[in-house]
Amino acid sequence: MKYVDAHSREVAVGLALGPIVPEFVSANPDLIDYVEIPFEQLRHSPEAGSIQQSLPVILHCASMSVAGFVPADQETLNAIKREAERTRTPWIGEHLAFISAEAIDNDKGEPTKPTSLTYTVCPQMSEETVERVTDNLAALQTLFNVPLILENSPQYFHVPGSSLSMVDFVTAVIERSGAGLLLDLTHFLISMLNTRKDATHEIERLPLEQVVEVHISGLSVQSGIAWDDHASPAPPEVFDLLERVLARVRPRAVTLEYNWSPHFPESVVFRHIDQIHQIVRS
Amino acid sequence: MIAGRIHAIMAAGLEDPDLLARWQQQPELMRTCGVDPTTFDLDALRKFAGLSAKVRHNGLRFSLPSTFRFLSLAGLEIEVFAAYAAKHSRERKPYAATNEARIVDLVEFLQDWLDPNQPEHSMLWDLIRHETALAQLRNLVAEAGQPDCEKDPTARSVPHIAGHIILHEMNSDPRQLEKLLRRKSFDPEKVRPVRVRLGYWKPGDGTEVYILELDELGYHLLSLVDGRRSVADFSRRFNGKSRPARNLLRAFADLAQLGVICFDEQAA
Repeated sequence: MKYVDAHSREVAVGLALGPIVPEFVSANPDLIDYVEIPFEQLRHSPEAGSIQQSLPVILHCASMSVAGFVPADQETLNAIKREAERTRTPWIGEHLAFISAEAIDNDKGEPTKPTSLTYTVCPQMSEETVERVTDNLAALQTLFNVPLILENSPQYFHVPGSSLSMVDFVTAVIERSGAGLLLDLTHFLISMLNTRKDATHEIERLPLEQVVEVHISGLSVQSGIAWDDHASPAPPEVFDLLERVLARVRPRAVTLEYNWSPHFPESVVFRHIDQIHQIVRS
Repeated sequence: MIAGRIHAIMAAGLEDPDLLARWQQQPELMRTCGVDPTTFDLDALRKFAGLSAKVRHNGLRFSLPSTFRFLSLAGLEIEVFAAYAAKHSRERKPYAATNEARIVDLVEFLQDWLDPNQPEHSMLWDLIRHETALAQLRNLVAEAGQPDCEKDPTARSVPHIAGHIILHEMNSDPRQLEKLLRRKSFDPEKVRPVRVRLGYWKPGDGTEVYILELDELGYHLLSLVDGRRSVADFSRRFNGKSRPARNLLRAFADLAQLGVICFDEQAA
């Protein structure tokens, strides 16, 4: 098994595990430094972990609902801990989002199961949520031997009661919790497009010195909204943002998330890995 | 507004897009949940449920690469999957367990949902049927060797399909559409509207799937071949006479020559 070098000062470049990755890694064993795997994939298909025989693994997660008001169940947390220890991931990236919430008929006093989704959702961006995330994170962090870092969500619409912008919300959470930031540049660009803000200006307001890892993927604009799209190549604007971030800080890792389509063009993967290396070197 | 309550409303709507539709029709229902309906962008939530449904169908991309590329380039992904998620929610029907069954369900949904008068909907309908037919036939296991059978039809011959065939009448040629989709930029205006009749055929003992471009007569003959009707039955159906016309015999002979059908002799 291969493990991430915890002491490396290089910016590692990796791929999120998806249908094209095993073959790509096998054909190009030295081109990337690691593979990022969602805990949920390892839980449902443990055989996915065999990629660690070829490359180190960084663990990603969408199950802890850190911005939610319903705690993740202990069994899930224990399973995440086991995977973190088994993979020796240097950190666990978790969405700054919620994936479960109270059932809406809970007011009747009857015990009802919380609503659990299969996709993380951008939370209400308010002081109340900032506090909640800080509390959740403090409790969750005690369970793991490696740091939890938080990934900014894509904002597709205004969540009622939100009083903070995406940048202010992320900044408040990172500053108060002291957590590292997993800066998803595509999520960031999507949020800026959907809230009509200038991404190049707003990115400078983020706590970039806290960035541990960067995510890059594609986006598509449909039905009047910009959406996350891991089946399409990242647009040039995302690489412009990467240049701006790397001009200021050195994250530990940059991950390309092209993990939705088995037909994602390999030529684009090559080109984008090369582009990241060039930006890192410049 | 209390964050936990807002999250609860959003989660309930995303889990049950039919509930979102009811809230859109009767906003006052949301007040019973303790929130002001005017503060929620329910249409955006509905679309987000579509994104979630789309991601849950990523497994279909193996068999339907061009369909998904077209959905994306035509800007139809979110609307299609939002409507699909709402339908499943309305019918309280979970998504099928296998990709094969999910493809069948999606095709069934699109048959009702798509508007054939919209050129892009029509192209999508052609493309998904094309890729589905190929995927379904490729998944069939080859059978043991084909029995020898008669290739020259007479009135008493009973044609049957040699292997498996799926027939589709298309409003554009999905093969041309696939070529255009492989280009750097896709222009739907370049897709020529043309009636094409395609037969997706896998010989029983074969591993290849062939696409046959059929004329109108050949297409209709194949669509009626059931292994029971004789050539005389076909003739009666077409011109009221048991004695088959020469062009009917020739059409059957041509199909037999291709190997798509062969004949058994009807018992006297």
